[in-house]
Amino acid sequence: MTRAGFAELQDVVLDASFPELDLALRRGRHIDRDDLALYALLTDAQDHLETLYRRFGCELVYKADGYYYLLPTGEKLSRRQLAPGDMLVGQALALLYLDPATIERGGRASVDDVIGQLVVVLGNDALIGAFNPKRRRRVDERIAQKNVRTKIGEALRHLEALGFVDQGEDGALRLRPALLRFAEPVRGLSAPAEALAKLVAEGEVLLVEPDADADEVEEPRFPPGTASDTDPIADDPLDDAPEDPAEDTDW
Amino acid sequence: MSPRNLEQVVSAIADRKPALELGPVDICFLIALHIRAEGAGLAAFTEQQLEDVFAQASAAIQPEAEQIRRRATHAIHRLRDQRLLARVDGQGVVRTGEFALSRLATAIVEFYLDEDVLTRASLGVLTASLRTALADVLASASRAETSEAWHETVVGPLEVTISELIAGIERRQRGLDRQQEDFQGEIRRLLEADWFGALDRCQGLLESTSATLHELNVVLLRDSAVLLGLLHDIEERAVAAGEVPAEAAAHRAMEQIDRSVAWGSARQRAWSEYFQYVHRYLRDVVRLDPSRALTQRLRDQLAGTGARFALAHAGAPPLRILRTVAPPRDQPPVVRPRAPREKEPTPEAGEDPQAVLDARVQRALDGGARALSAVTTVVTAASPDSDHFVEAGRIAHAVAQLARVSAAIERPWVAVSATLEVEDWRVNEVRR
Repeated sequence: MTRAGFAELQDVVLDASFPELDLALRRGRHIDRDDLALYALLTDAQDHLETLYRRFGCELVYKADGYYYLLPTGEKLSRRQLAPGDMLVGQALALLYLDPATIERGGRASVDDVIGQLVVVLGNDALIGAFNPKRRRRVDERIAQKNVRTKIGEALRHLEALGFVDQGEDGALRLRPALLRFAEPVRGLSAPAEALAKLVAEGEVLLVEPDADADEVEEPRFPPGTASDTDPIADDPLDDAPEDPAEDTDW
Repeated sequence: MSPRNLEQVVSAIADRKPALELGPVDICFLIALHIRAEGAGLAAFTEQQLEDVFAQASAAIQPEAEQIRRRATHAIHRLRDQRLLARVDGQGVVRTGEFALSRLATAIVEFYLDEDVLTRASLGVLTASLRTALADVLASASRAETSEAWHETVVGPLEVTISELIAGIERRQRGLDRQQEDFQGEIRRLLEADWFGALDRCQGLLESTSATLHELNVVLLRDSAVLLGLLHDIEERAVAAGEVPAEAAAHRAMEQIDRSVAWGSARQRAWSEYFQYVHRYLRDVVRLDPSRALTQRLRDQLAGTGARFALAHAGAPPLRILRTVAPPRDQPPVVRPRAPREKEPTPEAGEDPQAVLDARVQRALDGGARALSAVTTVVTAASPDSDHFVEAGRIAHAVAQLARVSAAIERPWVAVSATLEVEDWRVNEVRR
């Protein structure tokens, strides 16, 4: 749909909100109705912007749940994938989004709710294992739990930057519709494996190879020789300092 | 009215060590007493009536409870200890007493029974009453000529009648807040109980509350303008008459009305956000997943069944914005000064302190001082006390040089300042 004011792509580019929108989309942000000005511009200029971003090898995706995002399909714009920790937290947030209890709070949840959801579904040990994948030796439980909370906090900040959730000053989380992306493989009527294969083919998701150790969740892959790839701190079981943020993988 | 000192008030209340401990049975007992008193037109209860009412309340909430009389005695004792039930007959042990609910108990009962919720009808009635009362107060303010008249016909009604009416609106606003909270919980319960079947009821509830809030906001905005106008007129008349209490009372009433209007706007905004969220939820989640299978499937996915995957997204690095670089300033080359650093010493005429002192002594002698003590007093007058002792010796030396002096065998000690005495000489003649 193109409104009268946007007869040409030039009109879109000249819009005051365009630079902010363009930067947000290129950085992977999901834009919904809460980003009022950007969402309105996207809605009004969708045709022009689809054409524009296709030239950069990207698809401007609109979901019926009411949000847009940019999905690189070529190599002109760099594409990233969410880290395993981000995926776990994102799915827990999506579960909270679907929970009628969140309705009572107007779509708000707390970090404790997220941790509680993960504990209920995964269990304590699996949760600690998922967020401390490189710790093969037995570590102090207190340190491991602290590390889990730190990593969940980092994942929430990353998901906030991508427009999946808003974090208020009081720490309350406002859940946004883009969280339903985490439920995409299980949303349709088809079998999850089939739906997942389709999403992989569309470039929406990437399959993650399980580690040799079945109990561990794969860490993000970093280019060889980078600081994160050779982080000696990560193998120190006694260290309770937060590790490097779980950066998502650029490939 | 002077503002209360918070610390004083809190300390005074704390000194009385107030405490309230009421269980559900106690609260229900109080409510039962209130209802019985209303129904039977009772001003007080006999002990027998108290026990009967307790038995009724207990039967309603604890049908299997035993030893009702004993429990009633304990309950009455608890309520009396907490000043919720007061003996009103004043007969002591002469006969069995009569008891009435205290003001505190009545307030507690009213809190639980108070189901007043702001509706368009109740708000309309309240604002109309306020308008009439304020018009009367304004007319009284126009007529009032003495301070007593201002107090009786303006300040009094503003602080009692008007404040009560506005408080009535505020109380109903709180009732509506409670109703909305319950309503948000109701939507959750409906969805949990009957996922897809609750859709229409949820939407109906949402729309009815939205309509109510919208109507209330319209009435509040419309009527508040009239009410504030009347109060403003009263305030102006109070200012013209120099009636500070009336001006303050009008100002307080205006603040109360402003608060009520702000409540309406805030609730409208909050509700709008909630309304949109729930509508989106009903549309995107409930309608698209009528069998509510998605939650379980997502839970299974999170638990790790099936292949692991990661969402893809664009990740362009942020643009590099180079900062503006200021050209470096030319640093002057390091050079050695050509002129020699050390300067040859040059003689400079200094001031001889002894000569200065001699001149001051000479002036004192020329001024007619004829004793060492007189000269010392004059010469040390300008210097600090701490220097007097040192100067006294030098002055004596100078006097001996500049004049012929003589001294008695027993030289008298004469004070020359508050801290110094000298053995005095007599000056016979000044040398020329």
